[in-house]
Amino acid sequence: MGSRTLLMLTNFKFKSSFASSSSKPFYLVKSSPTIRKLSTKTRSSLQPPDVCRLAETARISLAPNEVEEFAPKIRQVIDWFGQLQAVDLDSVEPAFRADTEGDNLREDVPETFENKEALIASVPSYKEPYIKVPKVLNKE
Amino acid sequence: MASTLFRTIQIHPFLLYPTAICRRRNGVLYCTMKSTQTQTATQEKQQPPKVKVSQHTQSKTPDKITRDYEAIIGIETHVQLSTLTKAFCSCPYNYGSQPNTSICPICMGLPGALPVLNSKVIEFAVKLGLALNCKLSLNSKFDRKQYFYPDLPKGYQISQFDIPIATGGYIDLDLPLEFGGGHRKFGITRVHMEEDAGKLLHSGNGDYSQVDLNRAGVPLLEIVSEPDMRTGIEAAEYAAELQRVVRYLGVSNGNMQEGSLRCDVNVSIRPVGQSEFGTKVEIKNLNSFSSINRAIDFEISRQALLHSQGHDDQIVQETRLWEEGAQKTVTMRKKEGLADYRYFPEPDLPEVILTQEYVDGIRNSLPELPEMKRRRYEKMGLSMQDVLFLANDVNVAEYFDATISRGADIKLAANWIMGDIAAYMKNEKLSINEIKLMPEELVELIASIKGGTISGKIGKEILFELLAKGGTVKGLIEEKDLVQIVDPVEIGKMVDKVLSENPKQLEQYRGGKTKLQGFFAGQVMKISKGKANPVLLNKILLEKLNAKS
Repeated sequence: MGSRTLLMLTNFKFKSSFASSSSKPFYLVKSSPTIRKLSTKTRSSLQPPDVCRLAETARISLAPNEVEEFAPKIRQVIDWFGQLQAVDLDSVEPAFRADTEGDNLREDVPETFENKEALIASVPSYKEPYIKVPKVLNKE
Repeated sequence: MASTLFRTIQIHPFLLYPTAICRRRNGVLYCTMKSTQTQTATQEKQQPPKVKVSQHTQSKTPDKITRDYEAIIGIETHVQLSTLTKAFCSCPYNYGSQPNTSICPICMGLPGALPVLNSKVIEFAVKLGLALNCKLSLNSKFDRKQYFYPDLPKGYQISQFDIPIATGGYIDLDLPLEFGGGHRKFGITRVHMEEDAGKLLHSGNGDYSQVDLNRAGVPLLEIVSEPDMRTGIEAAEYAAELQRVVRYLGVSNGNMQEGSLRCDVNVSIRPVGQSEFGTKVEIKNLNSFSSINRAIDFEISRQALLHSQGHDDQIVQETRLWEEGAQKTVTMRKKEGLADYRYFPEPDLPEVILTQEYVDGIRNSLPELPEMKRRRYEKMGLSMQDVLFLANDVNVAEYFDATISRGADIKLAANWIMGDIAAYMKNEKLSINEIKLMPEELVELIASIKGGTISGKIGKEILFELLAKGGTVKGLIEEKDLVQIVDPVEIGKMVDKVLSENPKQLEQYRGGKTKLQGFFAGQVMKISKGKANPVLLNKILLEKLNAKS
């Protein structure tokens, strides 16, 4: 079931972003400014996804029928991950991150990228020496 | 992010420093602030008198109104780090380069590129965290702050959300004397690492904009203050002190004009005595310390006026822009609710782990910070005015320290540096590292004058040559035969000569015109080429003038 729903996700029309390539789900819970309290006791069932808002924030355009179609499918994916809620975390220290390796650092030594021309050439709309973009006045 | 400022309801945390200290009458709205290193306190007082008068006639009512309210001010500062490369890739960063020449797949956010953290960023963050007396998180992480904007190539900014590298610190500063002086201590909520976005330029004709990605990925440290400031001048001085600290540490050149130090200010007011905070307004586009001062004072007045007229519902949570030309804040677009950045831990970067040894190593290598210098200079007996000047620029302080460590008189050294040397630097537009007068020679100069080898006047003259061309004091004295004449016999001979050459004036003097003593003294100075010791000269002159009759 999991792999089929992931395949359906690839039918979305959106430009590639790092989030999709790592195929991790977006956190659908509204981020709160307080320190995370991920306890199993506070939420026993996850919120249903607000697909319209989700699509808006991800800048994905969905037709109304697509919204209806995808809502239960997204819900299924969330609920599948929701199985994790059953784990008892009372005696477990929250981890900052999932990995255990430490830093992967680099020295502060400049290196110019060799093929900058290719980078510029790949820009769809370039008006020397700037990247040409639509006029957007407000963030978000 | 917006809500961290009101996380804790602080009721009058600094009652020791009542806001009445700040005298609003002395043209605060139009003062020039000390933003460059070489301005002296005396130069600060040169405010256009014209402006002061007009402020007086209008200010009675707004002045009274604002006194009924307490302003709560917090500042978010972004400091661009002076590392050689960007935060997550090895592209160099140089302010002012040709657009889109310092780019690579990583900072352009191209598919498949992965960030690799620059170790210097952590070092600078720890340095600043320690300098701001913060608690360091030995384990912290990066998060993605997601939003769409043309200057943000990846569609998210790598930042730190809930576990910043440093929290809970404070900064000490001294307010400039022309604003009443006084010591202040403001809290620092947090310091975290993040990357800068590119530069977005709006073209003249409205249908498109332009992006330069040279700046995308440059490391920043964001410093969030506690809402402890109460006036525009406190806020401006907080920013100035941050600039001093980052320059002292060498982590940034802290230049507001270049954009390596950016401040956004949050202002709200509440009636004196009320414990709840009022509505908070954010002000952007502040390009100098004086703008910070003036914008906040304007905003306080604006809000106080609305509140006092019963229109406090017109004070809405919004972002306003400071317009330097019009000297007022104007609405940007009103926010349609809080932005949802959908923070989650950055999967492409590992945890940031600091060891206690690493932190201790950095702590031990910290230079003497501005606050410590000021306290040390105070203990040496220097006046507050001297202290603030000397400690303002780290290079000037080092020069001063080099001079007094070689035994020069403290007060004299301070006077020379703050007076003639500073004036020279200002005229020639040089920094103290560029003048040719070495600290050792300043020591020699002071000693020569103090010891009587040369007169003070001659000292000032050769100073100019030493500043411009270098050389040694001893060398110049010898070369130009400047040694002071202190032999009374020799002076006596010169006085006799002058008196005999000017019989008419001598008669006038004896007739009652005692003011002519100055004339005679000047003549003796002339024939001695300025070398006669003035005190001795006048003593002998007076004797001879009053002797014969």
